[in-house]
Amino acid sequence: MTQEREPRVEELDPALIRAAAAGDLAAFERVVRAYQQHVWRFLRRLLGDPAAAEDVAQETFLRVYRGLPRFAHQAKFSTWVFQIARNAGLDELRRRRRRDRLAAAVRAPAAVGPVGEARAEIEAALADLPLDLREALVLVEVFGLPYADVSEVVGAPLGTVKSRVFRARERLQAWAGAEDGEAVGDV
Amino acid sequence: MTCDDARLAVSLRADGELDPAGVDALDDHLGGCPDCRRFEAGVGRVRAALRFEPIGEAPDVASTVIWRHIRRDIDVSAAKSSWGVAAAVALVAGLVAGATFVGVGREPQAPAAADIPALVVAAQPGVETVDARFTLRESTRPGPRDGRLVYAAPEALALTVGDDRLVADGDRSWQDAARPCSPAPGRVRCPAEERRWVRSVTGREPFSGTAAVPLDLVVPVDSFSLAAATGGAASRTIAGRPAVGAEVTAAQMAPFLEGLAEAAGLRPVHPADPAEVWLDADHLVPLAVTVRAGGDAGRAAWAAAAGVSDTPGAVIVEFAVTSAQVNEPVDPAVFARPGGPADAATDAGFRPGSAAPAPTPSPGALPAGFRPHRAGAVATPGGPEVGVRSWTDGRAWLTVRATAGWSGGRLFGDLGPDVVPVDLGNAGVGYARADGRAVALHGDGLDVVVAGSLAPTDLRAVAAGLGVVGRGVPATWAEAATATITEAARALPGLLVPGEDLAGFGAAAVRIDGDTVSQVYAGPGERGFALVQRSVGHVPPPADGDEVGVAVRGAPGRYSYQRGQLDWVEGGAARSLRSPTLGLPELLAVAEGLEPA
Repeated sequence: MTQEREPRVEELDPALIRAAAAGDLAAFERVVRAYQQHVWRFLRRLLGDPAAAEDVAQETFLRVYRGLPRFAHQAKFSTWVFQIARNAGLDELRRRRRRDRLAAAVRAPAAVGPVGEARAEIEAALADLPLDLREALVLVEVFGLPYADVSEVVGAPLGTVKSRVFRARERLQAWAGAEDGEAVGDV
Repeated sequence: MTCDDARLAVSLRADGELDPAGVDALDDHLGGCPDCRRFEAGVGRVRAALRFEPIGEAPDVASTVIWRHIRRDIDVSAAKSSWGVAAAVALVAGLVAGATFVGVGREPQAPAAADIPALVVAAQPGVETVDARFTLRESTRPGPRDGRLVYAAPEALALTVGDDRLVADGDRSWQDAARPCSPAPGRVRCPAEERRWVRSVTGREPFSGTAAVPLDLVVPVDSFSLAAATGGAASRTIAGRPAVGAEVTAAQMAPFLEGLAEAAGLRPVHPADPAEVWLDADHLVPLAVTVRAGGDAGRAAWAAAAGVSDTPGAVIVEFAVTSAQVNEPVDPAVFARPGGPADAATDAGFRPGSAAPAPTPSPGALPAGFRPHRAGAVATPGGPEVGVRSWTDGRAWLTVRATAGWSGGRLFGDLGPDVVPVDLGNAGVGYARADGRAVALHGDGLDVVVAGSLAPTDLRAVAAGLGVVGRGVPATWAEAATATITEAARALPGLLVPGEDLAGFGAAAVRIDGDTVSQVYAGPGERGFALVQRSVGHVPPPADGDEVGVAVRGAPGRYSYQRGQLDWVEGGAARSLRSPTLGLPELLAVAEGLEPA
């Protein structure tokens, strides 16, 4: 695999963000439409549940709306939105933790929606990863975020992000090997 | 270049994060290593699979957010916002001025209260059976529910609350409870009658932490093992038994409350809510637990999100034993399987007596009175086979888990990255979980973890006597950044550490990562906090929208209720104290007690 950098999340015109922050709802709607797919996809992987991801995506943009007047343009806007989505997602996981504890401890199959078998398998393998590894890998793989941005989103140092992404990939080798029809290493 | 180094480099290159100077060395290694080439191909396959998204699958939430939520609220919030901020600031100021600092305070400890942690640990072997009847009141239910707890050492427990039951006996457990229903706005309506739901687990490991038996209902070891229980220690009589009391927080009693919730479907409580605990004076069995709503400014927002409405100071959960017998014979029939088929049955994979591929080490010396309990092996899909041995005395327990097939990446035993390296003498280095309740050893060809309800020092002694020599973890493992405070102080000049008056928390798990130093402190129950310091002169922009301004060590700082995080800049470095279980007053008390390392 060659060295590559694929930012897959666009940055918005700062003027649009300022207009939204000033209370222009049409501008805010454009902000939501620019990021809603990314936020929902991130949350779906974080929560393993498309319907919950939709609810939490709504909560995320409400928090974005409330926080906009205080967004100081010191960080990337996209990073800030992911950070809010992550916090809202973690809140949802905490709410669910008690009632799901027993089921989760014994590997409940992840809800992946009506999708093909192969995709269901990688989604299930992903859902089996510990939360810290899963969120780091999804931000890097699915959205192409640089490690420095992931570090901001998850609130962990750069070296920790590097190691989490690597360990997530190590753990997914069993799936990758099965896809290839051969066993790969110890997992 | 080792295969571990090469695979890390493959991962970095896939993300465009590999230093160009390392490219040639990586390609040289890949040229001669088919295993690492396969790893690289696997990384590519994972990426392709994860990036595949059917078009049009993501929902359009923009209209809902704007029309249903924002437009509807816009007039109301415009009118309220200035009042809201002022009220929040006033409440914070009032709380800080009048706060009592449970578990962090600098008040002298009442002798009886300070003794409770040691008493609780020491009481375990003396508890063979408990049969207690109790009432449970919650502010969200109209009347009390009657309940019964029957326990027979070491792992049989039957808990009944109203119509709900949890029964565990050795390697199996059952839970028969109303199934929770969570309606989403405009989408789902819950049925009028709650469905019953029976879940069964077989193949439980001895003293399993996942399909757990809530032993803190019997003697609250997890809630008190590290605690210097604070203020208000007193005595009274409950259900005809002498009792000692202590004031703690709901976070500290979380293992007890969550244990109760396994059968009782308990209402939510805020971690900083004050709790009063009364324990049997002879056996330390809980006789009464009362949780009151706290008055923290962030609690109102939490309560709204949790769907409850509480008056500060009001009793929200009250557990009160009405009769109790300890160490009297109990009828084994109470641990029988409940009737009816299970809606969900799970095999946790433990097989008693079966031999693991590598011998599971035994401690050279056990605490007095401990005898062998269940032993066997457990295998999980895609995981290594693990040998398990256990020992017990009354409610006290000890397990040793070992595997020869650990593939690494992090320590075996799910201790989390926040571990404290401990010197085990001739047994090399061990890694203790931040709460001191588990110790892992990375030996030659064998990875071991020791866990139990013993005091942390006793657990270390057991780990040191296994005949396994622990090595430092490889540089690519999650725990490799683990350091001592002295090393951290060298890495970050001006490092702050908690003062000596920080009571009730274990030793810090310290990590150095570039210009960032993290210290994690675990306390009793679920109490704990992280202190993170970084040599940059600013804090990141607010991300939650609920931040309030607070003075921290004489400097302006800010606090987010949603994240439980206090941020400030001091001496040119950004400092943050974060805790999901300590409230703002307690975090401010920790901050005020910080001093240069």
